Order: sequence, then C-alpha cells, then structure tokens
Amino acid sequence: MSVPTVRERVRPLPGPARARPGRARLGRVLTVARRQAFVLQRSPHRLFDVTIWPLVDAVLFGSMAVFFAGGAGGAGPAGAAAGYVLAGIVLWHVVYQAQIAVSTGFLEETWSRNLLNLMVTPLREVEYLAGVALFGLVKLALGVGVVALVALGFYAFDVTDLGFGLLPVIALLLVAGWAISLTVIGLVLRFGTGAEALAWGILFVVMPLSGVFYPVGALPGFLRPVAALLPTTHAFAAARELLDGGPAPWRELGLATLTTLLATAAAMAFVVRMLKVFRRRGYISRHV
Amino acid sequence: MHHVVLDARGLVKRYRRGRAVDGVDLTVRRGERVALLGPNGAGKTTTLMMCLGVVEPDAGTVEILGHRLPRGRVAAMAQVGFAAGYLPLPERLRVREYLRMFGRLYGLAEPDWAAAAGLERFGVAHLGAAMGTELSSGQKTLVGIVKATMHEPALVVLDEPTASLDPDVAQRVRAGLGALSAGRGSALLITSHNMVEVERIAERVVFLSAGRVVADGAPEEVAARFGREDLEEVFLHLAEERSAG
Repeated sequence: MSVPTVRERVRPLPGPARARPGRARLGRVLTVARRQAFVLQRSPHRLFDVTIWPLVDAVLFGSMAVFFAGGAGGAGPAGAAAGYVLAGIVLWHVVYQAQIAVSTGFLEETWSRNLLNLMVTPLREVEYLAGVALFGLVKLALGVGVVALVALGFYAFDVTDLGFGLLPVIALLLVAGWAISLTVIGLVLRFGTGAEALAWGILFVVMPLSGVFYPVGALPGFLRPVAALLPTTHAFAAARELLDGGPAPWRELGLATLTTLLATAAAMAFVVRMLKVFRRRGYISRHV
Repeated sequence: MHHVVLDARGLVKRYRRGRAVDGVDLTVRRGERVALLGPNGAGKTTTLMMCLGVVEPDAGTVEILGHRLPRGRVAAMAQVGFAAGYLPLPERLRVREYLRMFGRLYGLAEPDWAAAAGLERFGVAHLGAAMGTELSSGQKTLVGIVKATMHEPALVVLDEPTASLDPDVAQRVRAGLGALSAGRGSALLITSHNMVEVERIAERVVFLSAGRVVADGAPEEVAARFGREDLEEVFLHLAEERSAG
C-alpha cells in the first residue's frame, strides 16, 4: 500500500501567493456579491423582480388607494387608509426584495449546479450569505426605489414624509426579510429545489398576516395571535403610527425588534440544522 | 510538513437502501497519484464526498493535512481542488470570471495571474474570454480542471475528469496533472471508468466493491493479485461478482 518513493522525489515549489486571512474573507464575500451581479446583469428577466414587479405593485395598490380615498373626498379614515396602503406597498418591498434577493441568490447556485463547487472551497456559509445579502441591498435599493418613485410621481405620496422614524422600520423589515430567506434556504436544503416555490409563496402568507395595509385588528380573530408573533406586523404598525403623525412608536418598535431577533435566531438555527441534515443524508446528490 | 495529505479512517455511510460505504480506509500522500475504482454503486463518489466534507460519515474520520473535518473544513479546503466531469460551468460567467471567482474563493492574492497560468498549463489560454455556454463539453471539463488546480493545491480530487475528452485532450490533461504532481507535489485522487486512462496516470489504485476496499496497490500488483492481465479485467471481474452476489 505504501509508496515510499513519493516523499523523496517531491520537492514542493511555492504556489501562487495567498491573500492574508482577513483580506481573503472579505474577498470571498465580495466575490459572491460580484457573482450575483453577473447573474442579474446577464439575465434580463431577473430584472423583473426589481423593476416590473415593483412598478405593477405600486400602480395596483396606489390606484386602489386613490379610488377608496377619492370616494371619501380624500379625507378622514378613507384618506388615512390610502396613506396606509401606499406606505404599506413601499415598505413591503423592503421585505420582498430582501427575501427574494437572498433566496433566489441561493437558488441560482442550485439551478446552475454550482452548489458542490462552492462547498469544496474555503467559503464559509456566513461569507456566502453575507455576499448574497450585500448584493441584495443593491437589488433592494432598485426595487424599493421604483415603488417609492411611482408612489411619489403617480400618487403624490412621499414615503420620506414619515421622517427619521422610518429608518428603524426599514432596518427591521430588512432583517425580517433575511430571516424569511434563511427559512426558505433551509427548506430547499431539506426538500430540494421542489421547495423553491416557497421563495415567492411564503411572502403571500406573511403579507396578509403582517397587516401591511391595515391594522391587524381587521384580521379574523383567530389569526391575530399569529400576526402578533410576526416582526413585520409590529414594524408595519410602527409605520402607520408614524404616518398618523403620532409620537415615536417605541412600543411597536420594541416589539418589532424583539420579534425580529427571535425570528432571526430561529431561522439561523433552522438553516444550520437543515445544513447538517443535508450533509448527513447526502442530499448534495440532488444538485449534481 | 505533512506527508500524508488525506487520511480517511473507517468511513461508513448508510443510506436507506443499505451501506454505501462500509469501513473504508484511504490514505493519500504528498505527490501521490491515486485512482479510486470500482463498478457503479461501489461507493466511490460517496467516499469522495465524505473526504471533501460534503457528506457526513456515519462513522470514521477524515483529515486533510492534519485538519479534521468538519471542524477544520475551511483550512482543509484551501488546500483542495475538486472537479467533476458531470458538473457544468455556471452559464452566466465568462471563463476568466469563473476562474477569478474561484481564485478569490481559494484566497489567492492574484487570481487573474493564477487563472492565466492554469489555462496555459492545460493549453486552453484562448478560452479565457468565452462564455460558459459557448464551450463544448470537453472544454467545460478542461476549464473545471483548471479551476481545481489553479491554486496548486496539496490535493486534487477529480471525479471522472476525462470522461468527455478526446484522446489528445485527455493526454494534455494527464501531462498537466503530472507536471503539477511532480513540480508542486500535489497529490491526485481520481475516479474513472477508463482503466487504460487510470493505468497511465495513477501509480496506485484502490478498488472498492460493495462499499469496501478490496484491493490497494500499484496497478500491476493489483491485476496480479486477482490473477488478471490488467485493471480492465479486474474491473470486469468485480462487476460480475457484484451482479452475481
């Protein structure tokens, strides 16, 4: 079995220079982000998520808002509701874009059968997610920018009127979107690409439960406790309080922060667990 | 310096259909060229995947250059290159971009230089600007091998590397891998169904059958042990034995 001559005959030459560890880590994150940029640049249909879909959403919900507000002369509860709908659709796209960017970023590796190639490099899972999320911020800026501009240009609704209080709301919705995407990735790791429909479908479950356009008091009674557990519910409630011109909505922001932290921790634990199952059951065979 | 590059001990993997790998020991030394052989279902790919940390063994341990998997995966993978004939190139990248991406993932300071040297080593420097979709299957395989070797790793793992290559291109691959092994001291661990190919490239073969190592040694020694002329006959003998059993 032994090959005693090998040790003697080989005198390794210095290989290509390696980057310092910190620089290598940053390089890996940026490389993943750049890879995602190439995917968007060279797949024009992927622009649908960050241009057409936000445009359609903004026109659809904006027009409904104007119709209902118009019926009431644009004032009173109907006028407020119109603001809720327009603010809701702008802010919903923070969740949507954050979630879709990371989920489809990962799915791209399964569609192009690149997962195995990535798994046999020094790329850490957290570096991969950071890279996808980093480029996801670019997509988010594009998508939310389109909705916000349409709301402003077509319906004279300026989301920045909500003031600086908007910033923590956006940050919380961003993290909530990432937490949902981790759950989707965990499900794809466990069930294969058959679960990819959840990348979009899961948002259609979260959206009505989160009270994006209305206070959750409008939901059927049995759904309200479920809604209260979602971080998005409290973030949208905080946004509505800002829109109403009230004081800083500390209570809702606090609840949103707490539930976001819990949801993120749960999503991270879930994806780590699913990755372990993926490795233990040899599910890589589904992706080669 | 570690002279043992890969040290896998007592690897066991069970799936619902039974034991895919059943107590495999596999050691690969620096600069060694080893072929992992066996009929379909013998456990070659599962063994490779466990050695690469992609599949978790039910029992046994894997160390690469002293880094125990899975804890030492990141340090270990910096010294490993992997390519498989069945893996495509991502469609939306040029060859140069694909290699730069993996060069950065491997932590190279100058990935473009390493990519150019790698393309040159395997005689495909002209492919740098091509899109993945423009390449033939053989060219894709070659680019995959460039990707696996551009960081001149201590261990190059190739799963069916020359399956889609013309004989002259396969010869170029063997020459490139041989140069890497002799010059840099990279160990090679390959699987192949082409026994002629294996006899040309490997100095040691490990035969698996039903998830167990049934032979380990120089190609001619293994053939002699089974009373056969060459590895092809050993392979056929093991395949017949498996279908009969």
